[in-house]
Amino acid sequence: MCIKQISAKTFFFVMLFFPTLLLAHDVSSGDQQILDGGGLWSYIWVGAKHMLTGYDHLLFLVGVIFFLKGFRDILKFITVFTIGHSITLLGGTYFGVQVNEYLIDAIIALSVFYKGFENLEGFKKLGTRAPSLLGMVFLFGLIHGLGLSTRLQTFDMGQDQFFLKIISFNVGVELGQIVALIPIILLINVWRDKASYEAFYKASNVYLIIAGIGLFAYQMYGYFNGH
Amino acid sequence: MKKVLFGVMAIVLLCSHDMFLKMDNYFLEPNTQAVIQLFNGTFEKSENVIDRNRMLDVSLMGNGQRIQVDSTQWSEKDSITFLNFKTGNSGTWVAGVSTAAKNIALDAKSFNDYLEHDGVVDMLEWRKENNALDQDAVEKYSKHVKTIFQVGEKLSNDWKTALGYPIEFVPKENPYDIHPGHSIKVQLLYKGEPLANQLVIIGTEKSGESTTIEHSHDGGEPHTHKSGETPDHDHNSGLQLRTDEAGMLDFQITNEGVWHLRTIYMAQSEEEGLTHESNWATLTFAVGSGHSAAHGSGTEDDHHAHEEGFPSYIFLLFSLVIVAGLFFYFKKKK
Repeated sequence: MCIKQISAKTFFFVMLFFPTLLLAHDVSSGDQQILDGGGLWSYIWVGAKHMLTGYDHLLFLVGVIFFLKGFRDILKFITVFTIGHSITLLGGTYFGVQVNEYLIDAIIALSVFYKGFENLEGFKKLGTRAPSLLGMVFLFGLIHGLGLSTRLQTFDMGQDQFFLKIISFNVGVELGQIVALIPIILLINVWRDKASYEAFYKASNVYLIIAGIGLFAYQMYGYFNGH
Repeated sequence: MKKVLFGVMAIVLLCSHDMFLKMDNYFLEPNTQAVIQLFNGTFEKSENVIDRNRMLDVSLMGNGQRIQVDSTQWSEKDSITFLNFKTGNSGTWVAGVSTAAKNIALDAKSFNDYLEHDGVVDMLEWRKENNALDQDAVEKYSKHVKTIFQVGEKLSNDWKTALGYPIEFVPKENPYDIHPGHSIKVQLLYKGEPLANQLVIIGTEKSGESTTIEHSHDGGEPHTHKSGETPDHDHNSGLQLRTDEAGMLDFQITNEGVWHLRTIYMAQSEEEGLTHESNWATLTFAVGSGHSAAHGSGTEDDHHAHEEGFPSYIFLLFSLVIVAGLFFYFKKKK
């Protein structure tokens, strides 16, 4: 059966349950144990795992992909996002740039809100022009990278092969991003031809706004009460 | 030549210091992979790894059973020895390592310096009082270390098991059943018997705290140590207590975080070729905000507490309800 022949309903439920794979930032103390014993491969694994379970990073990318149509566009924007987060992930970790993880995650949550707001033509409704999407994706890429760097720096990495470990973690992040994006791109593109796409588009982007606000509030609560 | 040799040995001994069993997280999930680190140096930094053939005993005690750990489960990285193991069922577990004795010869000055540096003050006093400060020493020493950690929610009685080491600390209360503000009793046993009037040095590290935080000793100048740096002075001016007649210590738990106890019991030796014998003991454990708060408590680092604080199923349910509700709303509206 061709994927395009699958009903919109089926896709809807697949899309609904797909987030189970993406939830919870499941990078925990167990990962320190993986890193302690596994060499560079363990950094790739933990990086990929972090991206696959990092719902804030992926929600932002979902928002970006909703806006894009052709494969070239997707490649261009994902490349810009990757360059952005690689700069701060590599540089931030190497030079030991420390930021408060609640605050950086709060800003990442705002990027999720921003994308939903922009996709629903929020700027147009406010009577203003939206900033360049490519520029914003790069800027948010830098911020997401700083969040990833903050996370990586909470692990005890030792002194051996320090830069290679950071690169390995970054490679893992990219691999995780590719694995997560393929089904998301497929689902959004297939749904585009369905009659229910408009409702799906609106529902998903309103959800991004709600999730962005919710995650922002959660991180700020953590910032004020978690220390 | 002899002096140079003595000097080298003294450096080796002075640099080796204590041995500790440490964990990144003392609150573990049942039946999951975990790692215990064996530090040989200071509590903050390991100077070197321990040869496996020096480990006379490596034990895990939990659920009423003592498991002898195979040496193949050890690995080394950055001067730290790691034990990879799988946690068992819920309970308060004990891990222990006992090393074989080694001998070291030291000239009188090096020996005196070492006694002072590592807090073996009773022997130093004896040497002063008996005009023996100029006597060289040949010392036999061995180290016996333990850590207590919590697996799952359920408390068990394994924490009070004496592993039968020549010297060891045995708590009289479960550290995972107390919280800051309470005191804890710990007994020091030497050859299975209470060791009275023995100096014990107690330290603590709050979550995220280390010697990188500004601190001072005996009212001295406040100072810090860079991350990973080994202080060039001893930290014996921490909490120093002596055991009572029953070998018991009783001290206040002032904060959440990791607590460590260390002592060196040294005696004159009658053994041929030796002048002294010492047995070193350490114990580490963590204190949360009480058992009910064991998981996700402050003993995990902030990142992990941060990460694990948000239940994923709530996020999933929330997301499903919102997206589905919105989808049907917009579909109907159209």
